[in-house]
Amino acid sequence: MINRALLPAGGGENMLHCTDMTVLERQRARIKWQQEQQQQQFQLQQQEISYFTELADVFHQAGFHEGGLSEVVTRSVKPDPGLVDNGWNNDHVVGYGVGLPYNNGLGFELNYGAISRTSSCPPEAVAAVAAATVKGSESVVSDKISSGAGRESSKKRKVDKIQNNSKVVAEEDTRDKRIKGCAEQGESKITEKNNNKNSRNNNTNKNNNSNKENSDETSKDNSKVSEVQKPDYIHVRARRGQATDSHSLAERVRREKISERMKYLQDLVPGCDKITGKAGMLDEIINYVQSLQRQVEFLSMKLAAANPRLDFNVDNLFAKEQAFPACSINFPTIGMSSDMTNPAYLQFNPAQQQLLACCGLDMGIDPPDMALKRTTSAPVSIPETFLDSSCFTQTHPPPTWDADLQNLYNVAFDQGRQTSFQTQPFTGSIEASNLKMEM
Amino acid sequence: MASKHTIATRHAQGIRARFASRFLRSLLRLRRSGNRFGGSQSNDEGIGKRIRTDRIKIAAYAAMARAVGPRRTWSRALLFKLRNRARIHGVSRKRCLVSEKKRVTRNKVVAISSREPSRADTLRKLVPGGDSMDTCVLLEETAHYIKCLATQVTVMQSIADRLLL
Repeated sequence: MINRALLPAGGGENMLHCTDMTVLERQRARIKWQQEQQQQQFQLQQQEISYFTELADVFHQAGFHEGGLSEVVTRSVKPDPGLVDNGWNNDHVVGYGVGLPYNNGLGFELNYGAISRTSSCPPEAVAAVAAATVKGSESVVSDKISSGAGRESSKKRKVDKIQNNSKVVAEEDTRDKRIKGCAEQGESKITEKNNNKNSRNNNTNKNNNSNKENSDETSKDNSKVSEVQKPDYIHVRARRGQATDSHSLAERVRREKISERMKYLQDLVPGCDKITGKAGMLDEIINYVQSLQRQVEFLSMKLAAANPRLDFNVDNLFAKEQAFPACSINFPTIGMSSDMTNPAYLQFNPAQQQLLACCGLDMGIDPPDMALKRTTSAPVSIPETFLDSSCFTQTHPPPTWDADLQNLYNVAFDQGRQTSFQTQPFTGSIEASNLKMEM
Repeated sequence: MASKHTIATRHAQGIRARFASRFLRSLLRLRRSGNRFGGSQSNDEGIGKRIRTDRIKIAAYAAMARAVGPRRTWSRALLFKLRNRARIHGVSRKRCLVSEKKRVTRNKVVAISSREPSRADTLRKLVPGGDSMDTCVLLEETAHYIKCLATQVTVMQSIADRLLL
């Protein structure tokens, strides 16, 4: 059986890939799936004969005539286009139900074939049969019949959504109508079961074939979460007690994707632990992005003011920045940086000196991993000193910047958030949150 | 798991390193171009603080976009915008006006569709290239964009601190 147990958590990018697949690819995959399903269904026939003895009795009572049974059955085995053209005269409509009493295996085939075609959207393939086994003979039959009728609307919607083959769609519609005609005969049972049928059918709709045959009670009780299958397409399982038509399922998948991403954003944006709800979170995210952009602008202003002094510092800085990320350590830069540490940086404040000492000395000595950790820890001090108002007043703020400064501090830097604001994104880029997303 | 962590850290370091190197190179270039025009005169009066600020800001965003590469939607959109901007600046003013008009009409069409800017729309305006994204993708791009902005800020801060002191 196709194993569809894939957690969406691990499939963040997979989901992306699923959505990246063109509609055509998805449809092709779906056709393949359907074919596989049909094959599986045919294989399952032999095990399900017992179910249909009851059905046979019911149909026997209903008094359908048996004409065209063989034709119907044989045609049910054939591919769909043949079924449309040949198999569906009025006689055969009646014979659709008739097949059962006379040959259980064949009837089963018919059911499976017909059902698989009536619900060629794969998840619906099992609905009627599964429902049948749950409720018992009479209800089963009515369900199966009415399932076509009652489900017609939802199926049609689903068909429009999922089906690509217009031929198959037409077949389904015609078949549904035929089933409807057939259903009128057993009307008494339809009405009472119709209400329950939809939810139950669609519930079991989404189950695997393997579940169906084991026990439909348990399959119904399985309150499974939606699952994502890798390369084909998304199989969604309806949760227990929730709406199960295709629209709401798709919406639920979309909502879950969005909530998963919101949770990830909650980790990224500092100070969002207490905020629940999409609206508040979005506000926080917007504020954070705006504050980051304002910070970039502010720093660019700062750098613009410092530009005249870029003469020799930039070269030093360039070497420093080369040495700063420890991954790419080449000896010339290390040599340069170690030379620079002594004369050029005496004027720096202690925090900076500490950083530079780390960069200059540790690079050459420690193995890359150690240096990496050292440099990751060291720059944290810089943002903190930057935030320090005292430190900041030392660094020559031009008068025009005061307004911007105030703005920045008011909006972005709450008292409680100062250090966390800076360190959070920094550590966030280092910590396991990086594992989820590629850079 | 450990290997993943090292890869992640290497990626983080990688992005910071790439951004830092690109940004510094562009700063140098700006400095040299400023020198060419300014000469002995101090650069403050020569080019204008605002223009210089904007140039540095553009250089920062360009460096970040190039460091990320075309892997992300927002970086692609940023690069596209920067390339257009460069092209526009290079061409005559007439063409510049024409392209501005085009841009304006496009924006107007977008404004008609939404009556009140919802939060998602505000976010779309903030994240480059956000117009052509649905909410799901938008959130993911926002997360990556936030990470890159944060690295940008830290690198620029360290540079500024080192320069000014």
